[in-house]
Amino acid sequence: MNDEQDRLMDLFNEARAKGSDAERSAYLDAECSGDAALRRQVEALLEAHTRLGDFLKPPGDEALPSEGPGTVIGSYKLLEPIGEGGFGVVFMAEQLQPIHRKVAVKVIKPGMDTKQVIARFEAERQALALLEHPNIAKILDAGATESGRPYMVMELVHGVPITQFCDANDLTTEERLKLFLTVCEAVQHAHQKGIIHRDLKPSNILVTLHDCKPVPKVIDFGTAKALQQPLTEKTLFTAYGKLIGTPTYMSPEQAELSGLDVDTRADIYALGVLLYELLTGTTPFEAERLRSAAFDDMMRIIRQEEPPKPSTRVSTLGKRGIEVARRRQLDVVMLRRMLRGGSGLDRDEGAGERPRAALRDGQLAAAGHLAPPRTPSGGGWSAGADVPDAEVRVAAPDGGGAGRERDAGAGGGIDRLADRLS
Amino acid sequence: MSEVTRILDSIAQGDRKAAEELLPIVYEELRRLAAQKLSREKPGQTLQATALVHEAWLRLVDESFRYSSSRQFFLVAAEAMRRILVENARRKQSLKHGGHLQRVDAAHVEIVCPLPDDQLLMVDEALDRLATANPRAAEVVKLRFFAGLTEAQVAEHQGVSVATVQRTWVFARTWLFTEIQRDQNSAAGVSGNPPKSRI
Repeated sequence: MNDEQDRLMDLFNEARAKGSDAERSAYLDAECSGDAALRRQVEALLEAHTRLGDFLKPPGDEALPSEGPGTVIGSYKLLEPIGEGGFGVVFMAEQLQPIHRKVAVKVIKPGMDTKQVIARFEAERQALALLEHPNIAKILDAGATESGRPYMVMELVHGVPITQFCDANDLTTEERLKLFLTVCEAVQHAHQKGIIHRDLKPSNILVTLHDCKPVPKVIDFGTAKALQQPLTEKTLFTAYGKLIGTPTYMSPEQAELSGLDVDTRADIYALGVLLYELLTGTTPFEAERLRSAAFDDMMRIIRQEEPPKPSTRVSTLGKRGIEVARRRQLDVVMLRRMLRGGSGLDRDEGAGERPRAALRDGQLAAAGHLAPPRTPSGGGWSAGADVPDAEVRVAAPDGGGAGRERDAGAGGGIDRLADRLS
Repeated sequence: MSEVTRILDSIAQGDRKAAEELLPIVYEELRRLAAQKLSREKPGQTLQATALVHEAWLRLVDESFRYSSSRQFFLVAAEAMRRILVENARRKQSLKHGGHLQRVDAAHVEIVCPLPDDQLLMVDEALDRLATANPRAAEVVKLRFFAGLTEAQVAEHQGVSVATVQRTWVFARTWLFTEIQRDQNSAAGVSGNPPKSRI
């Protein structure tokens, strides 16, 4: 690109961003002094820009939400964007009435059926109102903006995703498990009230500090259901690359396109993936691999593939994996078997029998047996070999058979795990 | 490894001529896909250009290469789709201007283009001028408009921020808009008609 074009583009964009004609004019006076030709060019572009309309917009392209900082929606004044997801943009906002406070407002992108989204939200509203848990961000309100987009208002949480928090603060395995337990309790609370999250993932579990103590908070409860739309092949094309947000945390039954409703086990599965990630620093299926797979392949991987054991996964990470294992004193033999739900498939009859029995024995969704780490002998660990004998056992939620173990619920193994940790 | 994957690999290794090899393959695949779809769809159905490009991508590129080589593929596919749309527009125009009425064969499929034919042809010419003056801006237009990539995807391809893509995209659209307007005005001037203002 030549300099002249560069300059023209900068001037055009800067001038466009000015709030008033006077400001714009003053800006151009200063920038283009002595170069009348350049100024004419910029002004011609600025004039054309006002009549641009949808010129060259790809079909089905989502315009950026016209709601932005300063916009007042209902009794909320948008302040600044704090996050963006597949479904919309989240703003920090000021609630003006009946009380003055800061909240988070999620403005849904166009393309969703506003009426249906709001209807589904209304249907769940009663249940959402019953959610009273210190580790669940409250959903406060919902409605439609002037331009017809649905929006939802939530308690504002200042925090960072749980995985990021753990890594940034270099938490030990035990500290990680403690945080994880709190999350399980929150999810269990919601399940007991009949509410499923459906989109649990690190970016929906934020950790904040209260009096120097880390407190996880699950956000977005109830919004996923309202936004749920059937996945069809069409979704692949209209939203390629972000078609279902986060396949990494999607349970096998969600990957069935049969349209069967998901239940609490979907959340348990996602919690299992989260646990896996908290302990190994990586998810069972590589996000990159799922992202680059064709739609059908991706669904097949989630439904049929056996995720690698955490120890295997850690060892395939090479140096980084060893580092992770050492630093966290992580001696994981098993965190296993996020088995395929529903189909009764169980291909782990042999070697897996004992651990599975242990698992059933505890009726665990998440079970841990912690013991002091063993120092590897013989000059350290070599990449590619399994992490040696271990006394830490952490079981991931299990959807095996008819999902009997995951049936135990988010809280099933909490007591036992908590005992070990206290 | 599919042929397309192999060529993409050569492009990644720096073989510039490989891109020329790729264009006709992608072009044919897009036309074939369109014809195939059209024969299956109910009459009156139309095809989205960008959906076709994505389908060709899924069909032609091996899964394990999709991520690393998508930039080259989409640039070539955008170019191929541009040619198909331009050919369609030219053909329709010649039919309209007293050309012979023929049954349109299956390869001449109706692919939805969000621009009227005459404007598409002008954009096509102006885009060449933009490619000379500002190659990066032209690339954004190709990837967004002909290949249907999102701003975020283009940002990833070009290794710049989404904000930069947005700025470039608005600039490029506006730039092309002024060029086309000038073309229309000068065409109107020659034929003595009052200037049109219909974009």
